[in-house]
Amino acid sequence: HPAVVPSGLLLGRRCRGQGREGTLAWVGGHAESRPLSAPRTGLLGVRVGKGDKSVTYEEAHGPRYIAHHKGRLSLHTGNLYGEDHAAEQMVEDVFLQKFMLGTFPVCLSDPRILKRRAHQLEVSALVLRQLPAHKFHLLVGYSETLLSPCYKRPVCLHLQTVPSKVVGSLYK
Amino acid sequence: MAAAALHAWLALQSGPRTLRAFCTSVSPASSPAKRSPRTANRTSRYERPLRRKALPPRTEKMAVDQDWPSVYPVAAPFKPSAVPLPIRMGYPVKRGVPMAKEGNLELLKIPNFLHLTPVAIKKHCEALKDFCTEWPAALDSDEKCEKHFPIEIDTMDYVSAGPSIRNPRARVVTLRVKLSNLNLDDHAKKKLIKLVGERYCKTTDILTIRTDRCPLKRQNYDYAMYLLTVLYHESWKTEEWEKDKTEADMEEYVWNNSSSEKNILETLLQMKAAEKNLEVNKEELLGTKEVEEYKKSVVSLKNEGDNENTLSRYKESVKKLLNLM
Repeated sequence: HPAVVPSGLLLGRRCRGQGREGTLAWVGGHAESRPLSAPRTGLLGVRVGKGDKSVTYEEAHGPRYIAHHKGRLSLHTGNLYGEDHAAEQMVEDVFLQKFMLGTFPVCLSDPRILKRRAHQLEVSALVLRQLPAHKFHLLVGYSETLLSPCYKRPVCLHLQTVPSKVVGSLYK
Repeated sequence: MAAAALHAWLALQSGPRTLRAFCTSVSPASSPAKRSPRTANRTSRYERPLRRKALPPRTEKMAVDQDWPSVYPVAAPFKPSAVPLPIRMGYPVKRGVPMAKEGNLELLKIPNFLHLTPVAIKKHCEALKDFCTEWPAALDSDEKCEKHFPIEIDTMDYVSAGPSIRNPRARVVTLRVKLSNLNLDDHAKKKLIKLVGERYCKTTDILTIRTDRCPLKRQNYDYAMYLLTVLYHESWKTEEWEKDKTEADMEEYVWNNSSSEKNILETLLQMKAAEKNLEVNKEELLGTKEVEEYKKSVVSLKNEGDNENTLSRYKESVKKLLNLM
């Protein structure tokens, strides 16, 4: 069930979704689908190793570091006292993360950041430069045109390309 | 996948060149489009001879005294190639530094206010000035405002970041008015206070009507004004059954025809009878100064309650009345 955080102007969501076959584990913003019986490894961050693993900052810090070392991936007011639509926004978050993962197969392992400004949705993502620019443009236009009438609100996509996966921690 | 991309690229090459005009190396001075991928030293795995050259970040071309509001005119995510500050963010590893701004997810997560620099806010204010009207000079004090606009309406609007801009709490309307500003006589005021009950505050003399039964704010406002009108007119009318108002219904203590009056009259009559003075008039008795004072002290005691002042006044008046001094 969702965790409600009392303070702060802009808050996000962090919850564990229960499914029948595939559990959508939503851990520290890192959404992945795995069967309920699968071992729950790697959910609390990356194990300390010999320094040979290159992990992003997001992966290196587990969910316990949210609001300490990490920010929140989804910002909206649904979790504030007396505000509505918290569940709807969570469902939207989950769908958008999956959608982006599928539309941009070259995305980094970093999850996408969703910001809501009034009723506008802004999706920010870090992508590798695997595709030429015109393909990125096409995919961006396609996503926005598809999602805006779907959610009945303006959906903006902001991509930031990086040459390679940004390593956040070398000591893992 | 890269091979397919290469084929596609070559196929596009033969077509019209306008498609790629915006991202060729022919114009390195042009900055990338707002939502194009941010580039800095673009490298590719295959050295294609006609490869687009890497576009340097926009920060390298920025003048120190540039117009920043044109770089960030609206709220936008953090673009490391467009923000010329060497920002680092992240919890550093041991003996390390926080991560650089390129590809930094943490910088993307947090809300930034790069579009709200003091210069930008000044520009906004200048633009908004055209739509502002001055405060009327005649209303320069609170009393004047209250005199000309005695009714105050409170409404609340809610802003949230979510799927819907509607908020059901925004339909509540609160109407506040001082009863002294309304044209009410004694009976009307008492009747109005009885009609509204808890909505009237005695200390501030303010009647508060809070409506939320209609779905829209406009409707609730109309309903509140209607309520006020109805209350006003109804309180001026006197119904037949109002004659049956008993002493228990009275809001404050009234001396005339009260038991206290009757008691004091009896006592005085008995006193006069004891003095063998039978030629007395009721009105005369009640009109004497001592009885007046007694009446005032009893009224204040009943209305204001027990405190030092009222009790001492009562004591003095009783002493005088019974000639005990």
